[in-house]
Amino acid sequence: MERLIEILEELNPDVDYNTVENLIDGRYLDSLKILSLIAEIEDEFDVEIPTVEIIPANFNSAKSMWDLIERLKDDE
Amino acid sequence: MSYFNLGVSFAFVPLLAGVYNLIPKKARPVLLLISSLGFFFVISRFLIAFLLLSVVSIYLIALKLSALDGKRDEVLKTAEKGGKKEIKEKYKKYKRLWVALGVAINVSCLVAFKYLNFFGMNIYGLLNVFGADLEFKPFTFAAPIGISFYTLQALAYILDVYNGRVKADKNILKVALFLSFFPQIMEGPIVRYGDTAGALYAGERVTYRNFCFGYQRILYGFLKKFIIADRLNYLVNNVFDNYTRFSGTAVAIGVIGYTVMLYTEFSGTMDVVIGIGEVFGIKIPENFRQPFFSKNISEFWMRWHISLGLWFKDFIFYPVSLSKMGKKITSVMRKKLGNQYGPLVGGSIALAAVWFLNGLWHGAGYTFLFYGLYQFIMILSGNLFEPLVKKICAVLHINRENIVYRVFQSVKMTLLVFVGELFFYAKTVPQGFKMLGRIFTSVKFSGKEILSLGMDKNDYLIVFIALVFIFVVGILKEKNINIREEISKKNIAVRWLIYYILILSIILFGAYGPGYVPVEPIYADF
Repeated sequence: MERLIEILEELNPDVDYNTVENLIDGRYLDSLKILSLIAEIEDEFDVEIPTVEIIPANFNSAKSMWDLIERLKDDE
Repeated sequence: MSYFNLGVSFAFVPLLAGVYNLIPKKARPVLLLISSLGFFFVISRFLIAFLLLSVVSIYLIALKLSALDGKRDEVLKTAEKGGKKEIKEKYKKYKRLWVALGVAINVSCLVAFKYLNFFGMNIYGLLNVFGADLEFKPFTFAAPIGISFYTLQALAYILDVYNGRVKADKNILKVALFLSFFPQIMEGPIVRYGDTAGALYAGERVTYRNFCFGYQRILYGFLKKFIIADRLNYLVNNVFDNYTRFSGTAVAIGVIGYTVMLYTEFSGTMDVVIGIGEVFGIKIPENFRQPFFSKNISEFWMRWHISLGLWFKDFIFYPVSLSKMGKKITSVMRKKLGNQYGPLVGGSIALAAVWFLNGLWHGAGYTFLFYGLYQFIMILSGNLFEPLVKKICAVLHINRENIVYRVFQSVKMTLLVFVGELFFYAKTVPQGFKMLGRIFTSVKFSGKEILSLGMDKNDYLIVFIALVFIFVVGILKEKNINIREEISKKNIAVRWLIYYILILSIILFGAYGPGYVPVEPIYADF
């Protein structure tokens, strides 16, 4: 989780990722940042994020992203 | 036929709502389906066969996909651990073939009706360049109403089933109602199965509250269309048709007028559509969210025709940018160019595909393709210059959240939108450039000329006041104040006073009768 927050801070340092829960709906992360983020997560955590998982509910908070990563790891 | 037809909104809908409540709950969705198919038949007659083909094709293919999933899971249960991946791949391939069939059936109908003339003309033109002497005779058949809208909905359904986002429905009537629901069929919004299918089929009775709330929304749509859009229509067409005869100032007024007309006509239609849905207790997703308050063009497209943008994002942007090739590009470029510009390379390839298709979706013509290209360039430059703008603001100590800066951003964005919509409506791309040039080269201001374009002083004043009203409503919505909820808390006298004022202002200030030409439903042609 800490590593995920580091990745997010590299993308947009002006957000407190421990508390914000509307990263997508609040436009903190746009589509291009999502592309970066996905590339980084896939490299770092060795998972593959299918396009169907790219929905606001999975990316609105660091916590939900972490849950997604864990879920994808379990699926493998 | 239009939803602004008084017969549709104020006779057909209330009558339908009455009968709907009288019949048993189970029969209600069937009534909605029969009414929807009837509505379609009245407009497009036997072309309804194509709508039905769409329904049957997506229904059967979705069931097939779901059956394949079931079979795969069965096989996986007994498979050895090492072979599971292979089995999954095998079934994925089968599923892909079926989805491809569904996409081919639905897209080929769309292409046949909308693009055959455009492609034919271009192919013949190209052959003629190489010495062939061919004359292209355009086909002159009409397309089924709403084919651009319902086709995207149909594709979304099978792709969502393929991706596991929704379950294939065993009830063909439900699928048919989802695709053909009459308020949405002509101009969208392009909804997803999960958004409306459940509520459409639930058959909940029409309540007094839903009826009132729905009609408030419908009236708001009528206000936009009758007071503003219809008033501007003659002026806009006069300027676009005869721009060489007018000064740059007059052309600018026509261009601004077109964007205002397009917004009030299309978002007004959406108010009526969403309002009719509300009467029947169906929450149709919003298609507009105060687009002119956006900071930049990219945000504008998340607030204008939202459902189309989401469709392209889900089915073009992410699948292209996150394809194997797309991911590779992003990963290599990020290492070379860093996090700011790296993803932009792969992202812009996907974005170019989105805007090419978006332009083409609006119509087969070079003006639409140019319009798409323009939006692509604007969004791309916004991203390219973002770090520079950030730096300049930091050096000049400008707070980017400051209200003055926000207004500056919205004004700049709105000017860029005016230019895009100018090309959208121009007859040809060169005409668009000539009109744009004229705005800057023939700067003259003559009150007499402005009043000769097709609106008198009172017309300008009425449009201005109505726009201020819409602006104030927009600000309240931005602040998350639910105006209709607030109105519903007032006592009955105040509530009816508000309704009467709304109705009376539409009757008194609506632009109808001699001297006015009502706008045809603009998006129904796309």
